[in-house]
Amino acid sequence: MGVRFCRQPELERPILIASWPGIGNIGIIAVDTLRGILEAEEFGEIEPWDFFYPRRVLIRKGILEYLEFPASRFYFKRLPGNDVIVFIGEEQPTEGGRVYAEGRKAYHMANLVLDVADRFKCRRVYTSGAAVALIHHTTKPRVWAVPNSESLIPEIRTYDNTVLMSDIEGRAGQGSITGLNGLLLGVARMRGFEAVCLMGEIPVYLQGLPLSYPKASKSVLEVLTNSLKIEVNLDKLDELDQKVVQRIEEFYQQIPLGIRGQLDRLKHVSYDRPAEPGPITEEEEKRIMDDVERFFRRQGGGD
Amino acid sequence: MSRRHCFKIHAELNLRQSSLVLGWSEEVGSVGQKSTDYLNRKLKGQKFAEIEPEGFFPMGGVPVKDNLAQFPESKFYVCRAHELLVFRSDSPGAEWHEFLNSILDVAEHYCRVKELYLLGAMLTFGAHTAPRELLAVVNSPEMKEVLSQYDLARDMDYQTQPGERPTLNSFLLWIAKKRNIPGASLWVPVPFYLATTEDVQAQKRVLTFLNERLDLEIDFSDLDQEIREQNEQLAEARSRFPQVDNYIKRLESNIMLSEEENAELIKKIEDFLKEGS
Repeated sequence: MGVRFCRQPELERPILIASWPGIGNIGIIAVDTLRGILEAEEFGEIEPWDFFYPRRVLIRKGILEYLEFPASRFYFKRLPGNDVIVFIGEEQPTEGGRVYAEGRKAYHMANLVLDVADRFKCRRVYTSGAAVALIHHTTKPRVWAVPNSESLIPEIRTYDNTVLMSDIEGRAGQGSITGLNGLLLGVARMRGFEAVCLMGEIPVYLQGLPLSYPKASKSVLEVLTNSLKIEVNLDKLDELDQKVVQRIEEFYQQIPLGIRGQLDRLKHVSYDRPAEPGPITEEEEKRIMDDVERFFRRQGGGD
Repeated sequence: MSRRHCFKIHAELNLRQSSLVLGWSEEVGSVGQKSTDYLNRKLKGQKFAEIEPEGFFPMGGVPVKDNLAQFPESKFYVCRAHELLVFRSDSPGAEWHEFLNSILDVAEHYCRVKELYLLGAMLTFGAHTAPRELLAVVNSPEMKEVLSQYDLARDMDYQTQPGERPTLNSFLLWIAKKRNIPGASLWVPVPFYLATTEDVQAQKRVLTFLNERLDLEIDFSDLDQEIREQNEQLAEARSRFPQVDNYIKRLESNIMLSEEENAELIKKIEDFLKEGS
């Protein structure tokens, strides 16, 4: 089991951008949108059968034609001075009925992805996911950036609309990134790759819904493409956002009035100066989180 | 990830060319379990290998069923006179690819298997009085040709529906195809109200095919007696409960029941058969 290559592109010190599904599919939508915009070409795939149970069978005239597995594919794009490898995993290899990858399979998949990074001498790895945050869905999501090396922090501080964990009130630089979008960062550190995870914020009350959150994917892509100095048109994500806004509003109106009233106050939170207290006090923030969690029976965190 | 050696061989076999019949314990209508048990009983099957459960089944304790602690089993039996292997197992909950490859490792490397027959059942919303058609899905055109002389439906078109996943038998058939082992997955319809008890008629339909195909020379008189007894029990349930009779009559006329009616019929039949047994 390993990686099958259908092409051997010649790339110069590319960056690798990887993502798997997670909360709101924020990371994978961002990365897949970039793949589409760049018209990146497929060149390899991780053999799926030891990682996944098949998801579709096709039987024609009594003969089993094929079995389809979730794909984990590599794409490439040559850009002047900025070659890119995109990796998209359609599912996280889970064990024991868990939602996110962990354990032996997750570690193995992370290593296979980094084997490709190694083979093509990638200079940096990016992953992307979601950051569950106390924000309102009408505000622009920020991007939480977690690097795997201290040397990257000064660069991240120059990114627009981006915060480090230490900038988030009450976190003191602490947190966790669940699943492969996080694990890859750690394995990259172990193997000597510099890596950054970019997580788009999703409102705490939307984290459990089976909806994508393209608004946050756009924030992630803005940061990513600015840092890579790639110019892209992100209108497609605005169109996607328009498609889900109506459903989010419908859901929002179903939230009990008391909780919704508190959530409405988040519309006015400004993060321009994130280190300073906003219009909601810490005590109020805690109460909102408690109410929301009680309502949704969910835990916050990154993915 | 390299493949583990996760099976134990208890006896060396010297088979020239064997066939493997596989049944899962959880198959509806007990088709997998009862059919493989029947083959072992009639053909004097002897256990010769097993797959270790570690990594494939949860090991957080044991369930208790009918007062007994249960433990997952994945055992191979050999019926030497007919060069027949029988594999009966609980369905693994993880590492399916490794588990299914292990079955084929034992069958191919220790028993020179030449073909596979995977036993499966599917729920039907028809009545138990309807004749059972046996469907076959194969993994090669050659195998389809081989099976053309038997009374099987061999032209099924199917693809997984949203929210569903392929069966373990489809997964195994696909792996066998990659390993160039011809195989057929057999599907017998089981009326929904017999799914959790047993459907002896469905079992016999599968076994009749295997008997013909593998020249097993089995005398089914005992199974015929079981079928008569089950039919008598079901007839008694119909005469004792007019509503049950009404529901089954409607199914016999190809009229679908509502969800509530389905549930009521299942409960009445299950309770009645349990009481009778």
